[in-house]
Amino acid sequence: MKGNLNDLQKQAQEKWEELEESSFTIRIGTPTCGRAAGSLDTLQAFQERIKKEGVEAHIIEVGCMGLCFAEPLVIIHNPDSGLPPILYGFITHEKVLRLVEGFILGDDPCLELALGTVEFKEDGTPYIPEMPRFEIEERLVLRNCGYIDPLDIGQYLARGGYLTLQKALKMTPEGIIREVEQARLRGRGGAGFDTARKWKACYQMERGPKYLICNADEGDPGAFMDRVVLESDPHSVIEGMVIAAHALGASQGFIYTRAEYPLVIERLKIALSQAREIGVIGEDILGSGVNFDIELVEGAGAFACGEETAMIASIEGRRGMPRPRPPHPTEYGLNGEPTVVDNVKTFALVTRILQQGGEWFSQIGSPNSTGTAVFALAGRVEQIGLVEVPMGTTLKEVIFEVGGGITNGRTFKAVQIGGPAGGCLPESALDLPVDYDSLKEVGAIMGSGGMVVLDENNCMVETARFFVDFLARECCGKCTMGRLGVKQMLLILEDFVKGEGTEEDLDMLEGLAHDVREGCLCNLGGSAANPVLTTLRYFRDEYEAHVTGKRCPALVCKELITYYILPEKCEKGCDHCVLTCPTEAIATDEKTRKKKILQDKCVKCGTCIDVCPPEYDAVIKVSPPDRVKELEGEAGG
Amino acid sequence: MAEELQEVLAPYPVERRYLLRILQGVQQKMGYISEEALEGVASHLKISPAEVYGVATFYNQFRFIPYGKHHIVACLGTACHAMGGQLILDAFERELDIKAGGITPDHGWSLDRVGCIGCCTKAPVVVINDVIHAKMSPFKVEEVLAGLGLEMRKEKEEEEAGEGESQ
Amino acid sequence: MAEKGYVEITIDGQTVQAQEGEKILWAALDAGIEIPHLCAIREAHPPLGTCRLCFVEVEGEGVVASCVEPVREGMVVHTDGERAKTLRRRAMELLLADHDLECKTCVKEGNCEFLQMAISMKVKKPKNLHPFPREELPVDDSHPLIIFDPNKCIRCGKCVWVCREKAELVPFDFVYKGYDMRLTTFLSRPLGETNCTGCGECVEVCPVAALYFRKA
Repeated sequence: MKGNLNDLQKQAQEKWEELEESSFTIRIGTPTCGRAAGSLDTLQAFQERIKKEGVEAHIIEVGCMGLCFAEPLVIIHNPDSGLPPILYGFITHEKVLRLVEGFILGDDPCLELALGTVEFKEDGTPYIPEMPRFEIEERLVLRNCGYIDPLDIGQYLARGGYLTLQKALKMTPEGIIREVEQARLRGRGGAGFDTARKWKACYQMERGPKYLICNADEGDPGAFMDRVVLESDPHSVIEGMVIAAHALGASQGFIYTRAEYPLVIERLKIALSQAREIGVIGEDILGSGVNFDIELVEGAGAFACGEETAMIASIEGRRGMPRPRPPHPTEYGLNGEPTVVDNVKTFALVTRILQQGGEWFSQIGSPNSTGTAVFALAGRVEQIGLVEVPMGTTLKEVIFEVGGGITNGRTFKAVQIGGPAGGCLPESALDLPVDYDSLKEVGAIMGSGGMVVLDENNCMVETARFFVDFLARECCGKCTMGRLGVKQMLLILEDFVKGEGTEEDLDMLEGLAHDVREGCLCNLGGSAANPVLTTLRYFRDEYEAHVTGKRCPALVCKELITYYILPEKCEKGCDHCVLTCPTEAIATDEKTRKKKILQDKCVKCGTCIDVCPPEYDAVIKVSPPDRVKELEGEAGG
Repeated sequence: MAEELQEVLAPYPVERRYLLRILQGVQQKMGYISEEALEGVASHLKISPAEVYGVATFYNQFRFIPYGKHHIVACLGTACHAMGGQLILDAFERELDIKAGGITPDHGWSLDRVGCIGCCTKAPVVVINDVIHAKMSPFKVEEVLAGLGLEMRKEKEEEEAGEGESQ
Repeated sequence: MAEKGYVEITIDGQTVQAQEGEKILWAALDAGIEIPHLCAIREAHPPLGTCRLCFVEVEGEGVVASCVEPVREGMVVHTDGERAKTLRRRAMELLLADHDLECKTCVKEGNCEFLQMAISMKVKKPKNLHPFPREELPVDDSHPLIIFDPNKCIRCGKCVWVCREKAELVPFDFVYKGYDMRLTTFLSRPLGETNCTGCGECVEVCPVAALYFRKA
């Protein structure tokens, strides 16, 4: 298969054009989250129906378009209909028959299932004009995601893939670094370090071998951007890596990804072997004399390995513990050699920058944070999924216009941004433009792009406890501040959620957080302070409620709430809660047949609230726990 | 056992950087990493067994006890936590009567927690025998377990109580 | 101007010459200026940086760990800045809170580097911290020469560093992570059953009574 890239590209393009213009195509999104929504059943149902009906149609498994709320997603293009490709949402397997009979065998495009049509921008990026979010979004990283087959390098080639690499290989390393410098690209891993500066430092090192590492150890809970990019468009990352390798003079690359991402591993293996086959990685890449290969390394479940010195230790087969800096990895990295570590999205953007120029890229976003930001929008928001917007877009636009606002008409309380080491920002921060510097000012970080929306049903003290618990578990243990400082913060927070804290503890927590931030050996440990400091800064009243009022205003902290069944709302004929209660903590009054919770048996699991039919809605939570006695008194009296 | 271990070790050159991969290979082949396996890996790579033990215990992926017949992983990532993930883990712990990281005495069920599996849009999720279950609730936990053949605790207790009565 | 290969820096108003690339901590100690430290080993590159006791303030840069930060020509260092002192105190308080401090029954009888450092820093065991969930572990006296008391360990990592320099196969290493990280042998087997030769390098560097020689 190795040969002239231009020939391969031409063949691929012809094949693609035929597919796009005259073939019946059914694209089904089968990334990890799509699978969780049942997309493999959808796929199978389509395959079976198509076979049974004897229709000639291409079924293509694609990645994620970012519209995860509507999974399983299907795009059908019926060229005979004269219609553009149509995107359908919520296509579980039982809806397949309707689509097959309607639009594949007949000429009814089943518009009741459609989310919109798929149109293409000048540069070929698909968008859905019917969805207002695409007016705000700008997809540089996600350009191909959800439309091309990630397992077919031909589809990547057909859309101009690896042509940028071909161009870059003819440039000098300085020339490439200059483009990246002009783009003012900042690393997408979280800290936002100047990419060109890092590359220059490594390029100028006069010893070798040099190594290049792609950080795909997306350990931040609540983040899935890198997973989606690697599952949906792995070649855009590989291409960026080879370009970077040429700029640095690196001979060996690694992609370090999480063992928790089996599909990423599977798809990357295939992508790498295809790339090797056509000669875009390996020896003498595209006849340029450049040698560079990429090895896939699976992490083994350690959040600390997202820190670059820890990642290097892990690749060397050691405990993934960060080490103090200086020396920086560009000077003393893998095996003590000069090493650059960059995030998945940074590499995908490098490809775009070299394709369209640093100047072009620097015009997107805000002056000090150029380009786009990819966020994984999750939590209590309507249209959860992946979002890519120009830097400087406000949080409000991302959450309310792209994300469609808060679920079930509830009220926005906070957005947790930047992973566990990020911060919780309140409503007053919604007009904030999202870029590296604005977020830092308010105590959060861009992080790698996790954005979890919290509403009135989330307790901020418990949220802080959750993050600190995570970080205390995942902290490497090497330094005093990380091992003992973070643990001490956790012990205090554990008391708070039980209503056992004091005012003095509040001050201690705040003081500790500042010291941990400044005193940890690595940034990862230091950032453990962020969730505490931001919740203290913006939600201090909730802390006060727990500490002095011994109550949880959001009705979350188990020790501070009780469940109660409102007798006036309870329907006596209904036994839902009694039958489902796992601990038989619900008793039926013999006379009235109404239900009552036996508090000494109740484990506060919330099943009764779940199963109580919405037309009765008789189960409530109260805080402080003693409140239930008053209610029982009132009801009894 | 020794033969299986040799099969895993054989392809790897004596280079320390293969340590994680070898441990992953051992776990995949045998379901967990035994004491003998740790020693075998150390002697293959010519590194100290104490170091191998240090590395193996650092990473969450490695298990030193076998999986149960059914293996359950509850996700406690940010999104899952915000959507009630802790209640889901609580429910599994209660129904199976084991803690996260544990295994039932009959080796039928093992339970773990995980930081995040990146399935945040389907929160809260659990992974049971490698299949992702989306949008869980405490009630669904009972359903799922019953579907996999777990005799529900309630029934068991009733049975036991029944037996008690008849005696 | 400093000689070739040397730089001139100011520490607490005193002009100090130091070799290029030297860390602030060693430059200061060589000049007789005290900076608290427990984990530092001069030969360790990169440094361990675990104890977090050696913070100083560098003008224009803020607080840095002096065992990690190399000297630069013209650098102005203050060892008594408020922020650096606060951080040093905090680290010491945390270490003390996680230590059993049964000095009267300890083999080192309070004459250990750790306690002396705490006294010189004027830091006492803090009363307002929550007690850490310490787990008492058995003392390992299986080795003919060295006794290992894991309960005293402050996780500075010096023993592992010196052992790794000397022995091809270290008999102990850190296991687990986070608060649970601790020093132990393979599967916590008795030290006497490992390949430990009893050379005693680890005992020499241990700042507490975690590793000590058996009394004759």
